[in-house]
Amino acid sequence: MSVAPENYVLLSAVLFFIGVVGVIARRNPLIMLMSIELLFNAANLALVTYARAWANNAGHVFAFLVITVAAAEAAIGLAIVAVTFRRMPFVDIDEVSALKG
Amino acid sequence: MLLYLIWLLPLFGGVLLWALGPQLRSWAGPIGSALIGVAFAATVMQWNDATAPGGSHAVLVSWLPGWSFGLQLDRLSLIWSLIITGVGFLIHVYSIGYMDGDRAFARFFAYMNFFVFAMMTLVLSDNLVGLLVGWGLVGLASYFLIGFWFERPSAVAAARKAFVMNVVGDVGIMFAIFYVVAKVGSIGYADVFAHFQAAFTPHELFLVCLGLFIGCAAKSAQIPLHTWLPDAMEGPTPVSALIHAATMVTAGVYLVARFAPLWSASADARELVGAIGALTALAGAVLGCAQWDIKRILAYSTMSQIGYMIMGVGIGAYDAGVFHFFTHAFFKAQLFLGSGIVIHALANEQDVRRMGGLRTRLPFAFVAMLVGVLAISGVPGLSGFFSKDAVVYGALESGHPWLYAVGVVTAGITAYYMFRLLFVTFFGAYRGDVDPSDLGIRHPELAGIPSTSPAAAASSGRHPEEEEPHHHAPSWLMSVPVGILIVPTIAIGWLDAGPNGPWKQFFAGFFPRASEAAAGAPISETISTALVFVVVAIGFAIAYLRYAAPAALREAVARLRRETIRMPAVLVNAYYFDAAFEALLVRPARALGAWFYRSVDPHVIDAGVREAAWTSQWLGHLFRSFETGLVRAYALSIAFGVVCVVAYYAFAFAGGAR
Repeated sequence: MSVAPENYVLLSAVLFFIGVVGVIARRNPLIMLMSIELLFNAANLALVTYARAWANNAGHVFAFLVITVAAAEAAIGLAIVAVTFRRMPFVDIDEVSALKG
Repeated sequence: MLLYLIWLLPLFGGVLLWALGPQLRSWAGPIGSALIGVAFAATVMQWNDATAPGGSHAVLVSWLPGWSFGLQLDRLSLIWSLIITGVGFLIHVYSIGYMDGDRAFARFFAYMNFFVFAMMTLVLSDNLVGLLVGWGLVGLASYFLIGFWFERPSAVAAARKAFVMNVVGDVGIMFAIFYVVAKVGSIGYADVFAHFQAAFTPHELFLVCLGLFIGCAAKSAQIPLHTWLPDAMEGPTPVSALIHAATMVTAGVYLVARFAPLWSASADARELVGAIGALTALAGAVLGCAQWDIKRILAYSTMSQIGYMIMGVGIGAYDAGVFHFFTHAFFKAQLFLGSGIVIHALANEQDVRRMGGLRTRLPFAFVAMLVGVLAISGVPGLSGFFSKDAVVYGALESGHPWLYAVGVVTAGITAYYMFRLLFVTFFGAYRGDVDPSDLGIRHPELAGIPSTSPAAAASSGRHPEEEEPHHHAPSWLMSVPVGILIVPTIAIGWLDAGPNGPWKQFFAGFFPRASEAAAGAPISETISTALVFVVVAIGFAIAYLRYAAPAALREAVARLRRETIRMPAVLVNAYYFDAAFEALLVRPARALGAWFYRSVDPHVIDAGVREAAWTSQWLGHLFRSFETGLVRAYALSIAFGVVCVVAYYAFAFAGGAR
């Protein structure tokens, strides 16, 4: 039994929207990182869906690349969050504005 | 192999003495002289190779087709090499005595050796670019040696002036080379002479000759680029003898003689060069009558004699012009070295008004100067007689009666001012203890009278031990070279005696004849010689009456004072050439510079830089306002950008699909 691609695309769009709202609206850096993961995976889902729909393996390959980059991003992002938290003991991303121009 | 030796030995000497000067101390002089002596011996040993057809030739570097650099010693460069190393050797030996005790003894010989190397590069090169390199290097050596006593501002100014005016000439040669390379495609003399007829129209050929002649005029002190030569006498006297009389300033003569095929093919260029040479001969001789500085008199006489040479090679009498160079190198070197003995003996006194009566005190210098004066005046039997006669008569033979007339008149003026120099310096009573103002010298300091205070003598850097004038005999190192030079000064002229002398045979067939046939002279050479002799005798007689007759000697002081005061301003100021350059070139250039400094620099260049800085600062302010430091704001703007991109593609492809 196969599900129509439109459903996957719809799911992907919903996930992406949740991720965007999470990144923009939440202030907790950990939540923001998780939202970014949602964005990645929404994109991955769309890539795989289209790859299957058009019988073209490039989408699969690209999804693997995205997973790799996501892993690296998570490692760096968590490290930054840990260091920041060690210096400033609060979990509000808006307080971390030392790079203000 | 010897060819490399005569070229590189002086360079080796220059580098050695420059690098090890402080260690060598007083050995620098003998070493430098010996190297030049060896180079002279090597040049003499090359005689047979050089006089063989085509001369001896060695390729140094073959770079591109038509760009082959090499050394070439043929009959013309042989003559120059012999003078450069031979007379150069004698002057080096003389300098050991003259420069003794100078603080920069080794530096002097390093520069002198370097000069010989540069001059050998000039005459040995077988191509135009090598010639230009030598041309520039001799200018550099001249700059070093004029400014040798760099503690004196006047020496530095003279050196700078000489260098700048010489560079004007270098630029002329450079343009000639560009033109030749563009049209002929080769820099080698042989290629140029073989192909220039086909490559150039007569008009273009004249332009090439003109470019080359600008170089000649600057280097050989031809009007209007002559004003550096009198100032160049700021250098030590041996330098004046070697560079500014015997060798470097005659490079222009070499250039015209070397490019004789070009000149032979361009009648316009011959007219121009002949006229400029004659004009310079006359103008220099007239100025020689108005000078009081012994070296400046000789400098103007050099300018005048080079005018003769340039006239000779210009009108097509190449072997006569070169012969005048050959004899002039001996007698003018001798005159300078003789005057150097006088200057040395009088503790750097150069004003002839403060000399007088030196005949008994410096008999050797008197004999040396007398022989030189007789030779340069063209007294029959001495060297200058033969060469000057050949040049002057050559002008008539080639159909230039006006140049001939100028040459004859100049010969008379030459006799006048040279005997004036001799009489004022060596006859009468010694005037060194006369108050300068009685002689009409208004500003002793400005007139070049060295201060006698020990501090000034020490700071001037020359012979600090000589504070009081004392008439000491020259050392043997100074007398022997002068004594040797007396022999060729008297005798060398006989090489060109008669219609078929050794000199004419030496250069037979070497120089091309002018394209049109010689006009034929209206009077024979004997009559011409007699005419020149009469004019010379008149010049001598006037000089004798004015300066050496018993009546003139009795009131010498008053006479010199009167003459100084009444000297026409146009002569004192050397025809206002310097003033004209100042007004026409220097002041406009300064005004232009000041205008650029006041207007262009602050309002265009600085303003441009300022505007660029301000603009980027303003942009920076604008962009930093975007950097809020709020991560969520960044995320929002990224999201907004993504929406924009997606919207664009969505609309674009939706339109395309329809």
